[in-house]
Amino acid sequence: MVKKYTSMAYANADELIFGNSKFPVKAGLGLEIGAGYTSPEVNYAPRPGAGASKEKLIKEYERITTDIMARMVQIGAPSVVLETEHVQQMSNNPSWGGAVAHAQKTIMEEYHDEYGIKCALRHTIGDIREDRDYLQLRGDKYSTFMEAFEEVANNGADLLAVESMGGKEVFDYSILRNDTAGILFGIGVLGSMDMEMVWSDIADVAKKTGTVASGDTDCAQANTAMFIAGGLLDKNLAHTTAIVARAISAARSLCAYEAGAVGPGKDCGYENSIIKSIAGVPITQEGKTSTCAHSDLMGNIVMQCCDLWSNESVEYHGEFGGTTVQCWSETLAYDCSMMNVALKTGKAKDLRDILVLSDKYRDPQGYVLAYDNAYKVGQAIAKDGENNYLRAKNAAIECCNIVEEGVNSGKLRLTRFETNALAKVKADLEALTDDADKFMSDNLTKFKQEVAVFKPENYGL
Amino acid sequence: MLDLKLEDIDGILVRYNVALEKEMTPDEAAEELYPKDELIYPVAKAIYEGEEDDVVDALQAAIDAGKKPIDLIDDALMVGMGVVTQLYDDGIIFLPNVMMSADAMLAGIDFCKSQTTEVPEPKGKVVCHVAEGDVHDIGKNIVAALLRANGYEVIDLGRDVPVDEVIAAVEKEKPMMLTGTALMTTTMYAFKEVNDKLLEKGIKLPFACGGGAVNQDFVSQYDLGVYGEEAADAPKIADAIVAGTTDITALREEFHKH
Repeated sequence: MVKKYTSMAYANADELIFGNSKFPVKAGLGLEIGAGYTSPEVNYAPRPGAGASKEKLIKEYERITTDIMARMVQIGAPSVVLETEHVQQMSNNPSWGGAVAHAQKTIMEEYHDEYGIKCALRHTIGDIREDRDYLQLRGDKYSTFMEAFEEVANNGADLLAVESMGGKEVFDYSILRNDTAGILFGIGVLGSMDMEMVWSDIADVAKKTGTVASGDTDCAQANTAMFIAGGLLDKNLAHTTAIVARAISAARSLCAYEAGAVGPGKDCGYENSIIKSIAGVPITQEGKTSTCAHSDLMGNIVMQCCDLWSNESVEYHGEFGGTTVQCWSETLAYDCSMMNVALKTGKAKDLRDILVLSDKYRDPQGYVLAYDNAYKVGQAIAKDGENNYLRAKNAAIECCNIVEEGVNSGKLRLTRFETNALAKVKADLEALTDDADKFMSDNLTKFKQEVAVFKPENYGL
Repeated sequence: MLDLKLEDIDGILVRYNVALEKEMTPDEAAEELYPKDELIYPVAKAIYEGEEDDVVDALQAAIDAGKKPIDLIDDALMVGMGVVTQLYDDGIIFLPNVMMSADAMLAGIDFCKSQTTEVPEPKGKVVCHVAEGDVHDIGKNIVAALLRANGYEVIDLGRDVPVDEVIAAVEKEKPMMLTGTALMTTTMYAFKEVNDKLLEKGIKLPFACGGGAVNQDFVSQYDLGVYGEEAADAPKIADAIVAGTTDITALREEFHKH
């Protein structure tokens, strides 16, 4: 059913570089992602009220698409990707999503035909598989969910993506209580199982429609941890705990590629550098250019090996310099121009390392995700690549080891809180069984009792 | 690969959290805040440590020694929770501590209730919900936990709550405050509908709104909106209402920061 990764795509970490992937992806209108250049990927959200009807929503996305394409041509950008993250009306009503994809692609084709600009359209289906307080990962909602992929794929979307939510009900409970086993179970076991099901089906849709099954991201879990952790002075979650959740998420998000996805991984997958080291797929990242959506501590470092560079999301409205999508697509395009010049002049690795070092010692999250360390996490995952639980646990332990190395070098400094949280997580991990079946059995029992909204049948259990 | 010399790192970034870290450990800071009463102290300490069983044992000991169960809610459990929220506000302990302490406090309240026929009096009632169409509820869960930790009764409607269900709950429960969280621009629009329907029914209560996509400008566009930038703002807004600030404009003046 799925082919598990048990080796690295790259011989060493130094091969990880922006704009280049071991396995580039052709998509859309003349675009080759990871084939030697970077491109902007612009993400946007409709204004409040724009979702009131199908017609209003289509018009909103027509405006957005035209604004981006016109600005790209106006400043001389050679390529661009547009990402439409579905509002729930579009995924719950697949024909709305299809109509939006058609309208957007029509405009993009006009610009491609007239100016030759290379472009592709990503549609990220909303994970609508819920029934109020419960996830409903299988059943009727699943059918609508998959129909949403078919509709957009048949009507203009080139790249298919989702931020799937499997395991989130256990994770949300566990991350707020420092429950290491729960974090591992929610992301690395339940999340992985759900991913394997979902992405096998998305890959089928892509094959059938001649589109690209691109990738997933652990937005529901690892990004939740990152957001709760916040900035340096925030007091909601230790950053050492957040980065362990992120390391585990790489083992989970890798499942998409094992089930048939080929990239690019989605922009808010901060785990993408780890995944690229294993799978060799192109990736999109967001960083300093996504401050319109959120603040984080990895603004430069995530550019290190991105193939597409993104703003995460911005609400569509006017700014002094134009609409938000005009402004942010322009900012992204100039960053890509800088990376592409570095590639052409043979200075790419220097630029990469400057970007990395500007954030590597800012926070333990950036420290672990720096490509030399991300590669080590990748190796830990590949070592037990056949088993979702073991590889996720390996990733978490390796993450702890890497942070400890950083502290021992004197360059990465932790607060007492971060130090204590790291020690707790590592002790918890080392106490866990190596028997995947036992871990599954123990945690099924535990979380059925502790988490009222956890339904094992969502995972076929 | 390139690397930085140790002495050059400080010129590039500052780990302010490390630089400003207090000398006192969280346990030491907590010790200074615990109540002196030898029967209340173990309850407060167990709350801080998030140990539900220890909380129940300490409460039992206090009841055996003559303390009234219902009084222990305010005199012991809320005092212990006060230590936790003080340390949290001071940045000495962090959210998982608060969540586990809140769980322990709720277990303690349930125990006290089971030992008496008296009914405890919360500081006020708050209805919480996640906007219709939105399934992101971890923010709402934090808000609800922090409100409970601060002595409020919370009616938690859950997530993806239809507008009319929110209205019905407000009519039935008559809360002092309503909260709403949303993570998406299109779901937060439901807050304006909630606002409009409440006004139609002549209901004026503060509607505290927050979440990933929600911002102060948006919340200021409707009459009942009070923006909460952090989950921890929710109990502070509730406290302000209890203290007498019920006018929306005055609440905005106090809590709108931008």
